[in-house]
Amino acid sequence: MSVSRSRLVMFILLSFSMFAAIASSARQQPQQPGNAAPHKAVAKKDESAEGEKRFKANCGRCHHPPEDLSPREVRTVLRHMRVRAMLSEEDERLILKFLAP
Amino acid sequence: MKRQRWLLVFAGLSFAALSVGTCRAQDWTPVITGSAGFIYSKDAGQTALQPIINPILLVPLGSRFLVEAAAQVQGFVARPAPGQSYEWQTFSNLEYLQLDYVVNSHVTIVAGRFLTPFNIYNERLTPIWIQNVQNAPIIFAIGTRTSGASDGVMVRGVAVSRANWLVNYTAFFSALSTAEQFQAGRAFGTRVGLFLPKTGLEIGTSYQRFLQDQHSNSYGFYWAWRPVTRVDIKGEYAHSPQGKGYWIEAAYRFDPAGRFGRELKNIQPVIRGQQFVRLSPGINDSLPSANTQRVDFGLNYYLPHEVRLNGSYGRQFSTTGDANHWTLDLTYRFLFPVPFWPKGAK
Repeated sequence: MSVSRSRLVMFILLSFSMFAAIASSARQQPQQPGNAAPHKAVAKKDESAEGEKRFKANCGRCHHPPEDLSPREVRTVLRHMRVRAMLSEEDERLILKFLAP
Repeated sequence: MKRQRWLLVFAGLSFAALSVGTCRAQDWTPVITGSAGFIYSKDAGQTALQPIINPILLVPLGSRFLVEAAAQVQGFVARPAPGQSYEWQTFSNLEYLQLDYVVNSHVTIVAGRFLTPFNIYNERLTPIWIQNVQNAPIIFAIGTRTSGASDGVMVRGVAVSRANWLVNYTAFFSALSTAEQFQAGRAFGTRVGLFLPKTGLEIGTSYQRFLQDQHSNSYGFYWAWRPVTRVDIKGEYAHSPQGKGYWIEAAYRFDPAGRFGRELKNIQPVIRGQQFVRLSPGINDSLPSANTQRVDFGLNYYLPHEVRLNGSYGRQFSTTGDANHWTLDLTYRFLFPVPFWPKGAK
């Protein structure tokens, strides 16, 4: 039994070391540069980009973005997730810009 | 009698919210979301097939109220004893039925039946389309009191939100209920978390006081860390008078721009290790009767259209006997507007 336990501990340590190695070698995707556009459009794009960042930081920890949602559906789902996943009011607003631009 | 009282309170609250909210409901639409799946498992030689559907109804009532309801219907096909033919059983339960009132940017009040907020697994990680390994951690019963839901009132929200850090909190009180589909224990509890978005780290702590039979305290800690986009590390520690333990899980999604990205981008290897220490005997506490260790290895494959294929192997070590655990499952996440709802179409 003690041999099995020590093997288990070794297994866990070895596996987490491998994950740590993979993690340190992985790289974030570079952000797409913005296009030159009218002031309002740039601001909107910035908000959408910030919303994507917030989505990845908050929602992306558990799941990827849902497919093909209308703005009205997104608002409902975001209200649900604001309560469930403790999103701030600003997170909710910016993620809405990202999911329903 | 108690059940009727609860239903009346909830119906009254819902009606009040509906009256206030309907005038502004045109910006929102009710949706049905959730998941469906089919799980094959072989636990210590016992084979089982489990079709599951877990629908969630979300009905916004204006900009401040939301009604949420979730149910689970699950089939269970297994042999009652070795050599006998397979038998089908069906289970259904109401996971939550709650009314949320967003008071302001810091406070949301929740009334009704809600998932007990102890650590993070119960609230965030139980849906089958989110779970990286399709079986709950050994310590899941600590703090959730086995049903996983509470009947009462909860206050929650973001206490402080800054660019680099955020503090969230939850506090709840639950009444005793023995009504069918509304079973809950009398308890109160709280949880506080600190989230650092730039490092992708969230840590937090939970406390719960059980207020019936022998009063007892449970507490726990949790962590969720995403050092880079494709790596996901989560874990929990929980302590109760009956036992204590922890689980830690790591998952990795391959980079599509990497060397083998095209072939491996949809694959997610997972590993989870856990340990449980029995501190005192418990009756029907859903915890192992003896000290237990377990390690699970999983491999998930993301298919198009919210479908995922998952497989895992786990080895459990215990003084009551070692065992193998296999699972293979297909999950599907759905989301669509409620049909025929006035102005509810896309």
